[in-house]
Amino acid sequence: MEFARAFLKVVSKAERTITLLAFAIMTLVIIADVFSRKITGVGIAGAPRIGVFAMIATAFVSFGLASDARRHLRPKFADAWFPAHWDGAITRVQELLTAAFCLVFAIVAVGVVQETYELGEATRMLRIPVWPMQAIIPLVFFIASIRHSIFGLIPELRPVLDDAEGLDAIPSSVTEGAEGEKA
Amino acid sequence: MSALVLSSSLVLMLLLRQRIVIMLMLAAGFSYLVWGDGKLGYVVLDTWAAADQEVLLSIPLFILAGNIMSRGSIARRLISIMREAMNPIPGGLAIATVLSCAFFAAISGSSTVTLIAVGSVMYPALIDAGYSKKFALGALCAAGTLGIIVPPSIPLILYGVMTETSIADLFKAGIGPAILLTSLFVIYSMAMNWNKERAPFNFAALVDALKNGVFALFMPVVILGGIYAGWFTATESAAVAVFYAVLVELLIHRDMTLTELKETSLETATMMGSLFPLLMMALSINTFMAYEQIPAALVGWMTELVSDPVSFLLITMVLLLAVGCFMDIGSAILIISPLLMPLALSQGVDPVHFGVIMITNLEIGYLTPPLGLNLIVAMTAFKEDFWLIAKSVVPFLVLMIIGLLIVTFTPSLSLFLVK
Repeated sequence: MEFARAFLKVVSKAERTITLLAFAIMTLVIIADVFSRKITGVGIAGAPRIGVFAMIATAFVSFGLASDARRHLRPKFADAWFPAHWDGAITRVQELLTAAFCLVFAIVAVGVVQETYELGEATRMLRIPVWPMQAIIPLVFFIASIRHSIFGLIPELRPVLDDAEGLDAIPSSVTEGAEGEKA
Repeated sequence: MSALVLSSSLVLMLLLRQRIVIMLMLAAGFSYLVWGDGKLGYVVLDTWAAADQEVLLSIPLFILAGNIMSRGSIARRLISIMREAMNPIPGGLAIATVLSCAFFAAISGSSTVTLIAVGSVMYPALIDAGYSKKFALGALCAAGTLGIIVPPSIPLILYGVMTETSIADLFKAGIGPAILLTSLFVIYSMAMNWNKERAPFNFAALVDALKNGVFALFMPVVILGGIYAGWFTATESAAVAVFYAVLVELLIHRDMTLTELKETSLETATMMGSLFPLLMMALSINTFMAYEQIPAALVGWMTELVSDPVSFLLITMVLLLAVGCFMDIGSAILIISPLLMPLALSQGVDPVHFGVIMITNLEIGYLTPPLGLNLIVAMTAFKEDFWLIAKSVVPFLVLMIIGLLIVTFTPSLSLFLVK
């Protein structure tokens, strides 16, 4: 259990760092490109491509952050259809099913990345190979599979939140801020 | 038979409390395996193709700009201007609440953020000023929904991405309905609070509030003015919005630190982590459906049942109102808009107008139990009973349905800036 806890901590930290870096690159590159185009009339060559790749990295890597924050949307209206004492078992099945789907997706993605590598696909503008960027998909879903397996097998490690699921549109910072002001 | 297997599997997933992204993964995989070429790899390729689009850049950038502004003092400054300006009018504080929500919505692009940012200041103020709890909650919850119709709106961007409709045109088209709904709320607030005590007009205080909030007021002008004048595309305006938000909050207002900016960016990225995989899976299913000509078949079947645009729009309204009760707006747009769009086109409905109809329709879902997001947020933020909040929004729901009917059957209200 301690190993799993340590693993999750390291993964989360790495995900936060990569996400933040990719997000900063995406934002700065696009802002620089827009200002360059508006001021000099010429954009930065390849900037939108870099921005899109950084966005893809952010979006996929933050899949894990959303899992940690329990921000993945799910319909909740059927939650009350089973007795409350089944909750523990259902949650385990929920997590293990998610893990299984992520694993299948990761395995299929490996095949796709391999195909892209063999075809030697490169981006139009930047002329760099696509496969290293695509490789983020299997990597992220493998990690997601491990993470959700851990949540399913050791429920104590599953993030405990008040009621975050389904309220993904609300940044917690805003909620906290608002409650703080009220208090 | 296969359709029955898929439907049963999805119901089972629902019972097992599965995430929507996993359910979409199942639907996409099943579709390709059973009805397509039998290759699961297409789901991954579609996911990649869906993510690899420049237009998507506007989503995280607008969310980031909104989150930065929400975390800073923009809301407080806007509210201050509205309060000073509306003080001498009957129901002035209520009107200030509605207008603050509308204005803040033009900055944040999110209904729940608008509700919390404005509500945290205005709810106690309304109660202190003698407004009933029921009215205050109703006004805040309803005006909070303006966040998704007032541009820049994330649901409008999602609709644009899913149906390949110009996002800039959708933003322009959202302005008319947003003004209409805001006006309906303002008129109702004034009528309901006609006899409330009015504060005297204080010109000096208004000037002071304007001085403090001028940068907040200028934000929608930058975003919408830039798009309307043709200076910016949606993505460009999103980048400018982030730049402006950082500039204002970090350097001018100085209400945000670099650490807070980092936290806000991480928060935005986490939202991307839940939204983007959903978007990519939905686009994968969309690609499959287009490849298999399912929308065309649906149009053929529907045209036999519905012979005129009015019936189509009425059926769509009822469908979306029902969907809004059980589904969040993002998922609803991602799943339903590609199916309804060909039908709308076949009935001669303008795609931009249809987008606005869809968003206005689903906006009502923020106020309808059991899953009305603004009801749940208000319950959490204001610590009030869910059913009290649900009852408090009823008059506003009626106003919104009236507004929806006007938006639906008066296309020029949405399209006057587009054409």
